[in-house]
Amino acid sequence: MAAIALGIAFLLLAAVPAGVLGPSAPLGEAIYRLYPPFLNTFQAGVQRHLAPWLWDDVLLPVLVLPSWVPFAAVGLLLLALGGVRRRRHRAAAAR
Amino acid sequence: MLIRIRRGWEIPEHQVTPEAVVLNRRAALGLAGGLAAATAATIVRPARGQPQGAAVPPLPPAARNTRYQAERPVTPEPYATAYNNYYEFGSHKGIAAAARRLPLRPWTVRVEGLVEQPREFGLDDLIAAMPIEERIYRLRCVEAWSMVVPWTGFPLAALLDRVRPLAAARYVRFETAAIPGVMPGLRQSWYPWPYIEGCTIEEAANELAFLVVGAYGKPLPPQNGGPLRVHFPWKYGFKSGKSLVRITLTDRRPRSFWETVQGNEYGFWANVNPEVPHPRWSQATERVLGTDERIPTRIFNGYGEFVAHLYVNLQHERLWA
Repeated sequence: MAAIALGIAFLLLAAVPAGVLGPSAPLGEAIYRLYPPFLNTFQAGVQRHLAPWLWDDVLLPVLVLPSWVPFAAVGLLLLALGGVRRRRHRAAAAR
Repeated sequence: MLIRIRRGWEIPEHQVTPEAVVLNRRAALGLAGGLAAATAATIVRPARGQPQGAAVPPLPPAARNTRYQAERPVTPEPYATAYNNYYEFGSHKGIAAAARRLPLRPWTVRVEGLVEQPREFGLDDLIAAMPIEERIYRLRCVEAWSMVVPWTGFPLAALLDRVRPLAAARYVRFETAAIPGVMPGLRQSWYPWPYIEGCTIEEAANELAFLVVGAYGKPLPPQNGGPLRVHFPWKYGFKSGKSLVRITLTDRRPRSFWETVQGNEYGFWANVNPEVPHPRWSQATERVLGTDERIPTRIFNGYGEFVAHLYVNLQHERLWA
């Protein structure tokens, strides 16, 4: 039940940046608007102390997605998880 | 009587290589290995490191101007050209291979704004027309490391003389190239590209302000800001814009890239001062590239005799960040 509630919350949250910045505004822009220095410091930390490719090939592709996509993806994932667990509970109760 | 037969692996004490020599050799081998690995990586991933555009002609002969003394050894070229900040290519120091994709020719720079004669210069024409010389300058990065580089170039003032600034011009704005297909950093569309830096007209006219087209006697490589960059040796390195395509004289103080992104840490003036720490680290000392020795940082990066007078009446400004 908690996963489903959290999933719905994420789906609602997805609408916020899309509504404020427009549906195609990237996630990075939403974060930059909230706190401009964050991404620069984060990028420097990742590229200098972990690996340059981690930023270029993993994090940046996420940051350039429309800002609502990652929230919606997490929301749908949580809903799916919640649905699976709910079915298992029902099946266990029926036995 | 003891007869000692020396075994094959034994050698006399005097033939033992001194520790310092071994360590130096290891350092050299390490550097050579690193360069070989970097070269191999470039070969394996040619798309990241292949130079693009037309061939870059060699620099004309440039006599060294001995008025400017670094008072420290020149940083070995492999260090200075393999440890770079160039945010358009990444936020780490190993951007050299990616930066080599920047096409260095043809290259033009436009000088415009509050000038009598706005002009666009082809870089090779500009180099041919300017008083080219070599200057050995210290470069102090805001990140508390430094190097000493023999730059080839000409005074910024010589270029400004060509376009004749109007009396109303109070600032100079430097704009770096922004080429999305070549510079991966530009994918971060939320940043205020292109990279902008600026200085006052008095700073631009100072004899130290230098437009750089070469280093170590060769055309300036892109990772160091090639084919054309500005260098203000008394300021932190980020003030010295790289790969310049436009220079604008204006009556408004330019708002720089870093001032926009992180204004509490990187301001307009950014003169070197060991007494004023960066919000996240001390500026009292600097790590010398190549030796890793830590040395005390000097006010105005040691160029106070040339530039301190520029700031006498500006004590109300945030001069040191």
